[in-house]
Amino acid sequence: MVELEIGQEVEMEYGGSAKVLSVIGSGGQGTVYLVKFNGMKWALKWYDIDKMKKPKVFRKNLENNISDGPPSNKFLWPKYLTKETEDGTFGYIMDLKPDGFDSFVDILNTYKLEIDPLTGRAVKKPVKFTSLSAMVTAVINIVNAFRQLHRAGKSYQDLNDGGFFINVNTGAVLVCDCDNIAPDGSNFGIGGKPGYMAPEVVRGIAQPNVQTDKYSLAVVLFKLLFRGDPMEGEKVVRDVCLTESSELKHYGQNAVFVYDPNDASNRPVRGIHDNVIKFWRIYPDYIKDAFIRSFTTGISEPAKRIIENEWQKMFIRLRSEIIMCGCGRTNFTSMFVQPGEKTFKCPKCGMEFASLGFSDRDYRMPLYLGCKFYVCEISPDSDDFTKIAGELVENKLKPGVLGIKNCSDFKWRAKMPDGVFYDIAPGKGFPIWQGLEIDFGEIKAQI
Amino acid sequence: MSNENITEPVINSAESASAAADNFEPAGSAAPNTNAADSLLDFDDDPLSATGVSRKSLVIFFLIDTSGSMKGKKMGELNTVMEELIPEIRRVGEADTEVKVAVLTFSTEVRWMYSAPIPIEEFEWARLRASGVTSLGAAFKELSLRMSRNSYLNSPSLSFAPVIFLMTDGYPSDDYKEGLRELQSNSWYKFGLKAALGIGSEANDNVLAEFTGSADTVVHAYSGSQLAQMIKIIAVTSSQIGSKSMTLSDETGRELAEEDVFAAKQKLLGQQIQELVSNQVEDSDVPFDTGW
Repeated sequence: MVELEIGQEVEMEYGGSAKVLSVIGSGGQGTVYLVKFNGMKWALKWYDIDKMKKPKVFRKNLENNISDGPPSNKFLWPKYLTKETEDGTFGYIMDLKPDGFDSFVDILNTYKLEIDPLTGRAVKKPVKFTSLSAMVTAVINIVNAFRQLHRAGKSYQDLNDGGFFINVNTGAVLVCDCDNIAPDGSNFGIGGKPGYMAPEVVRGIAQPNVQTDKYSLAVVLFKLLFRGDPMEGEKVVRDVCLTESSELKHYGQNAVFVYDPNDASNRPVRGIHDNVIKFWRIYPDYIKDAFIRSFTTGISEPAKRIIENEWQKMFIRLRSEIIMCGCGRTNFTSMFVQPGEKTFKCPKCGMEFASLGFSDRDYRMPLYLGCKFYVCEISPDSDDFTKIAGELVENKLKPGVLGIKNCSDFKWRAKMPDGVFYDIAPGKGFPIWQGLEIDFGEIKAQI
Repeated sequence: MSNENITEPVINSAESASAAADNFEPAGSAAPNTNAADSLLDFDDDPLSATGVSRKSLVIFFLIDTSGSMKGKKMGELNTVMEELIPEIRRVGEADTEVKVAVLTFSTEVRWMYSAPIPIEEFEWARLRASGVTSLGAAFKELSLRMSRNSYLNSPSLSFAPVIFLMTDGYPSDDYKEGLRELQSNSWYKFGLKAALGIGSEANDNVLAEFTGSADTVVHAYSGSQLAQMIKIIAVTSSQIGSKSMTLSDETGRELAEEDVFAAKQKLLGQQIQELVSNQVEDSDVPFDTGW
């Protein structure tokens, strides 16, 4: 492969040149460099075309993707191609990863390595979501990004843990490595990363497409939530050494989900898969059922895999079921005691939480200081899961009085103890009380 | 809460006696665990407190000739390049694989640099010195002894087959064939990724190919700068391939069978090493007075 030298100028397709400043990293298809172009810093991916089956077709696809543009701002999308060198080598430039984002790999490892500039020694720095809500928001963002991509008629092809950057404070997500994205049904040579590839791709009987993306997406989500491999249990560990043929078996021909209800041969092993064992007890049944479906019927029947919109609804629900108790315990309602139909109780400190029931769903949202709901939860036509619509706050002028603040852009109506519905303009709020009813328009809610 | 049958750890390596051929003996039968009391509080239930994802482990074995003929420039170059190499292969494991390094030196005696494989993040190269003869056969025997579930390959979780990288500059002074026979009966060796580097004109590429199993994974270095280049090429390529699962893609469009994937990594390693080496050779083929 032709490696670029620091200081080298790479000519861009439509004029100008990018100056190579340093190496950022290298992967299976090439190397990523930090470059300066038009006075700004960019990332340049420079391909090792010897490893490509059809470089010309690959370049043409990249060109199409650049002209189509990204499906949303969640993608670090290719921006400009370079000129081809004499031997046909080329690359493209894209935006740099913004500060504040960590790689999904580091999140899974729970640490990142930083090199101490003085000693040259690698120091481990912890990487962890700072709140449960940020973690579930990250999941929603990932699912939503792939929903947008698939709606644009494209598939990502090699979805894996190297494909994301995540902000652990906010749950914001950036999808990177977008250069293999191709119109659904086309493939330009990438197979995918083992462990993330759909079994039919591992077996060699299918090429990556939107359906195989869905399988890989389920693996990504499982890894993020359960912190383990959905197919690695007792059956796999018994092989001791993971040879090529054991991979073909355990991830292709005879893949068995670790919590397959009808096949207990591959359960997680204590001492090795402690995360999976622990988290399987924490998550509510509807989440576990979705993974069971993904990794049992979804193995052999690609059409039955969970679609992104279903995942999105599930995780919006999961986010609304988080309780941050005053005692410091944060968890999902599934891990709280339910003394009555409408209340949750912390098993640690005994504090009880009222809840809000919405007219369009059969689960309830616990109420606690700081809890939020989002625009998509009160407007059926909205897909906006990031804009806060309402928040439970303490009245600044009457300490100790809790109420819901209207953070949305439109007027609500709320029933007060006198039995009358009052208009609640944006920015205003109202106290919560037994018998509270809120009218958001199409959707209603009550305590 | 259903599906809660959890199995006990598969760590009992010390109990079973070491078989001459280490056939990845599965350790102890996993006893199902009965359900623990289902209280919401009897375990750490913080959804954010996770340990790192269970990683597969990969041990990279370096077998290094420290016989007297390595003295001087060769050993100086080797020490320097190994020091530089360690940080370069630190990231190859990513989230999936924990990479460990073990260094076996052989001269009149065989000696491990450390008494167990060390995680790459913590590994520090101890500079080697050269003296004595080339006991390659003894090194093969020692390696075979340690490449066992009961010894250096005792990770409780899954392992990838090890990477074994041999560097030598001379003809073995002992019966290397006997040692090699012993090594060849070790399953870790069979599935491992093997590569070898011959240093200088004395090293015999045929002996090295006997060790790796194919000529593709044997390269030769005649100068100091070549030595540095070749060590990097082999170590980086083999640890990259060794630390990852194989992408079993295939153009035939038919279902892959076990024989299609057998030793696929070793074949890939051979291809990549040859490709990289030929690029290097092209550079050095240029006569010194041209290209100015």
